[in-house]
Order: sequence, then structure tokens, then C-alpha cells
Amino acid sequence: MAVSATNWADEVDGEDQPQTFTDANGITTTIEYRTNEDGKKVKVTRRTQKKLIHDVVNKAVAARKKWPKFGKEKGNRPGPDPATTNVGDNIKLKLSSTGDVVQDVDEKHEAMKAQLQNKKILCRICKGDHFTTKCPYKDSLGMEDAAAAPAAAAEEAAPEEQQSGSKYIAPHMRAGASGTKGGDRDSIREKRDEQPTLRVTNLSEDVTEADVSELFKRFGHISRVFLARDRETNACKGFAFVSFTMREDAQRALEAIDGRGYDNLILRVEWAR
Amino acid sequence: MRPILLQGHERSLTQIKYNREGDLLFSVSKDHVVNAWFSHNGERLGTYEGHIGAVWTVDVNSSSTLLVSGSADNTAKLWDVSNGKCLKSWEFNTAVRCVQFSEDDKLVLLVTEPRMGFPATLQIFNVENGVTETVSSEPVYNFNPEGPKITAAAWGALNRYIIAGRENGSVALIDPKTGECVSTNKVHELTLTDLQMSSDRTYFITASKDKSAKILETESLEVLKSYTTDTPLNSAAIMPKHQEFVVVGGGQEAMDVTTTSSRQGKFECRFWHKILEEEVGRVRGHFGPINTIAIHPDGRSFASGGEDGYVRVHHFDDDFFTFKFQI
Repeated sequence: MAVSATNWADEVDGEDQPQTFTDANGITTTIEYRTNEDGKKVKVTRRTQKKLIHDVVNKAVAARKKWPKFGKEKGNRPGPDPATTNVGDNIKLKLSSTGDVVQDVDEKHEAMKAQLQNKKILCRICKGDHFTTKCPYKDSLGMEDAAAAPAAAAEEAAPEEQQSGSKYIAPHMRAGASGTKGGDRDSIREKRDEQPTLRVTNLSEDVTEADVSELFKRFGHISRVFLARDRETNACKGFAFVSFTMREDAQRALEAIDGRGYDNLILRVEWAR
Repeated sequence: MRPILLQGHERSLTQIKYNREGDLLFSVSKDHVVNAWFSHNGERLGTYEGHIGAVWTVDVNSSSTLLVSGSADNTAKLWDVSNGKCLKSWEFNTAVRCVQFSEDDKLVLLVTEPRMGFPATLQIFNVENGVTETVSSEPVYNFNPEGPKITAAAWGALNRYIIAGRENGSVALIDPKTGECVSTNKVHELTLTDLQMSSDRTYFITASKDKSAKILETESLEVLKSYTTDTPLNSAAIMPKHQEFVVVGGGQEAMDVTTTSSRQGKFECRFWHKILEEEVGRVRGHFGPINTIAIHPDGRSFASGGEDGYVRVHHFDDDFFTFKFQI
């Protein structure tokens, strides 16, 4: 037995008659039922209040009101046409004698602002009370801060974020991105090499890139590891270059690893030239 | 107050004008359309079809029988207000930038702009019996005014003078019978965008791109009042009754419009106290710079036309009329 899509009870037009009733205040309520484009039944309630306004006007004005419409309006019924005439949102014209002209307040906007006020919006760039995307110093401070923020406090959460690699940072926004700050330096190539890079020497022969990155990644996000290998034997030549994203991370790594033992050899770490 | 939005134009508005009783509002735009609206409810009465270029200017006579419009298609047309019929089309060498009926409705002032070697002209036509008879194609007066381009023009009281605002910010008084420039006064730094007379034409207000509007006395061209804003102004109007206000509006194109509400823009009409030269209020709503402002002759409503193609008609609330400026 096939189950019909519509409930048979609904098909009986019990409640589907359009109704009109007027209550004490003169408000006419019209209820009608329609099927909208999704095939769902829609109840439309329309409350109208009709007010008759008597206005005394000039005879000429009254005569003009009776003119038949012409041009593009030719043949149209009297009364405004929603295609050309609409009523806008309510605006308050607040007149004030003080110098500051009070702007008209959009209720919804204010409500949203009030709601957010409790939540303490903090801009990540300048710590002002606006959204980061709306920060007026987005361009100037935005880049610098990407480098400065983790360095601002050594124990900040930001470095962890870098290490876990949760956010991708475009090359020109990473630490040492001097292209925007220092005027027009040329090419990305140079920018990449501007990255804080350490040279690690006195590595043992069987060290791999993985070992090196394991060792250094606790200090910060590494953008590149280059391990010098012998061409024929593929054994490590004893030195490697580690490029960090943040200069501060590189600095800390340098201090920590330089002079440290690793696989029976004392490592030497210096800034790469 | 709830503004009534009139959407009869697809391109930016160039001018709007009320008729003498204020029941009709005429709007013209760069989209070649001339619209007539009933101002109390925004119902459109009809359109005047015939222009094939941007319509720059419009004016209606005091009996609301004749309408004149000037356009970039090098014509000015005279229309019968009641049925949209074009009664006369005057042809020129260049675009018509300003038109105005004289106070007695007998004459029409037309200003054409200089272009491609053709000089600017200032022409006056007689339209005394325009409704019943064919109007002459020959102007009563035809002058080539010298000097910078005239951007706005109006009749003075009793047709004694024509007031012309120029591209270099100066205002000139021109004798309508001889075409000679009787006096000039440089009042603005940048081009004049609008010039509207007071109801008795003894003084007028000018709006300029130099972010200020000024009130000048007609006969002497002396600056009586000055209103300085922070945005280039495209239009200014004087409230004829109830409150001693002037309304100015303008706006810069390249302003970044942050949307506070999708239904309302941020370009504003500013209300200034006429005598005390203080700003008293603003009405925002346009999505683009305001190009033209007109105030209903009874002072109970006003309309603004913007670059966004909308005309917004505002009927003031009761508290508007009870406001008193506290010094």
C-alpha cells in the first residue's frame, strides 16, 4: 500500500478558508493560505488599518490630483505603484543646539554593539577595542606585529601557535619581512634569504634532516632545513642550515643548542651569513 | 519620519523641483527621463518622454501648466505638465545646463555650456502663451557671456538681474536686457554646484565643491552667511517657512561606504541654522552623494536626489517644528 505524500486530513479544506475580521480598534485582519514555491503551505496574516485623512487643499491641487497618468504611467490605476514608490526605514532627525550633531542611530547596529561590548573586543594588532579586520592600523602595524607579537613576551601563547603550525603566514608577513618596512627592496628571493637562518656545524655523519628539525622545532616554527650531504655517499657533511620563521625563535635556539652535545659531538650554532 | 523612496530613475539624479503649491515634484536624471510625482505620497503622475541625452535641469511655471527641461542632447523642451506632450523643442549647439522660468512665467532663461569651439550662450525665450500657442524658436535675448563657464543661473527679483554662478567659484549679476555682467564677486574657491533663491529672491544660497555654502544678497552680491562643512557640497536650499534653516548636501565619491544597515546609506543632508551658522542635524539615507535638494514651499517636507538614482521625500515629524535653538 503506497503511503501518500500528503496527509489526507489536510486535503479536507477545514481550516483553509480565507478569513477577514475587524476588531475594536478598526484593524482589519485578513488570513489567507497559500502554497509557496517549495510546495509548503503558508499562512499569510495581513493587518491593515485604514485611516481617512481630510485635507483642505488649493482647488488647483485638487484638480491636478485627478489628472490621468501619462508617459510610462499611462493606464495605471490611481495610487502609488510599488515598483516606483516605497517607504524607507524610519529615520529620526535629531535637531540639537550643541556643536556635536547626533547621528541618526540604527537600532540594530547599536544593539549589536551593546551586545559585543560585554565581550571585550580586542584588536590583535593594536589592542584597541575594535575587530582586527576593522583596525585602522592594519597596514602599518599588521605586518610588524606579526613579527613583534611573539617576541613581545617570551612566554606568550603565540609561539606555541607558530610551532603547532596552526596558521599559515604569508612570506611577506613573517618575521624579517623588511620589504614593506624598509622601503622597496627587491624580490622575494632576497626576502626569503632574509629569514633568520642558523648554521649548525659539527654534526655527526648519520644525522638526517628529520633529526635536525626534531631538535630545533621546539624553539619555533622552522621554514626550511638544509642538510649538507656528500654527493656520493649521501652521508651528512657535518653542517646544516635551519631557517626559522621568527627571528626570536632562532635566537633562542642558538643560545640553547650552541655547545650542546648531540650524538657524541658538541654542536656549534651560529647565524648563517 | 519615514522617507518615501522614489525609484523612477536608473542613473544619478541631476535636479529635482517642486511646483509652487508643492503638490508635484519633478525629477530629472542622467538616464534621459523626466518624472513627475505627487509629493504627499510619492505616487508617480507620469513621465515626459523625448530626451535622448542626460537631462540636466528642469523647471515648472507657477501655474503648473508648463514644464521646461534642458538636456545634454543639445535641446531644451517645453512640455504640457498635465499630459506629457512636448509642446516645443529648442535646438542648440551644445548641452543646456540651466533653465528657469521667470517669476511672471513669461520668460524662460536657458544657459548652454561652451564646448568644441561653440561659446556658452545665455538665451531668454518668451513662453507667455505656451499652452495655447506655439512658442517661438527665436530667443528674445541671446548673449555669449564671457568668462568662466556658468554652472548655475537664476532670475533675480522682478527680472532685474540674472544671477549666474561660475566654474571658478564666482557669482555674477547679468543684466537680462543687455547681457552685460554688471558685477561679480568671487565667493568660493572651487566651482559652484548649485544656486537657489529665497522665496522673495532678495537673497540666495550657493553651494560649492569647496565644502562650503554661502548666502549672498542679490543686488549687492555681498556674503551674508557662510556654512563650512567637511564634504564637497552639490546642492543647497533655504527653508521657506517654520524654521530658519538651510539644507545642504553633497558627498565625496571615493568615500568608503561601510554598511551599517543594508537599507540605508550614509550620505547625509545637513541642516544648518541659517542665522547662527551652526549645524543642527543630519538626515542620512542616500547610498551615493546627494546631487540635488528641494524644499516643499510650505516648509513641511523636503526631498533629496542622489547619485544612487533614488529620490527620498521626507515629511517632517511634529518635533521638527517645535525645535528652538538654544544659544
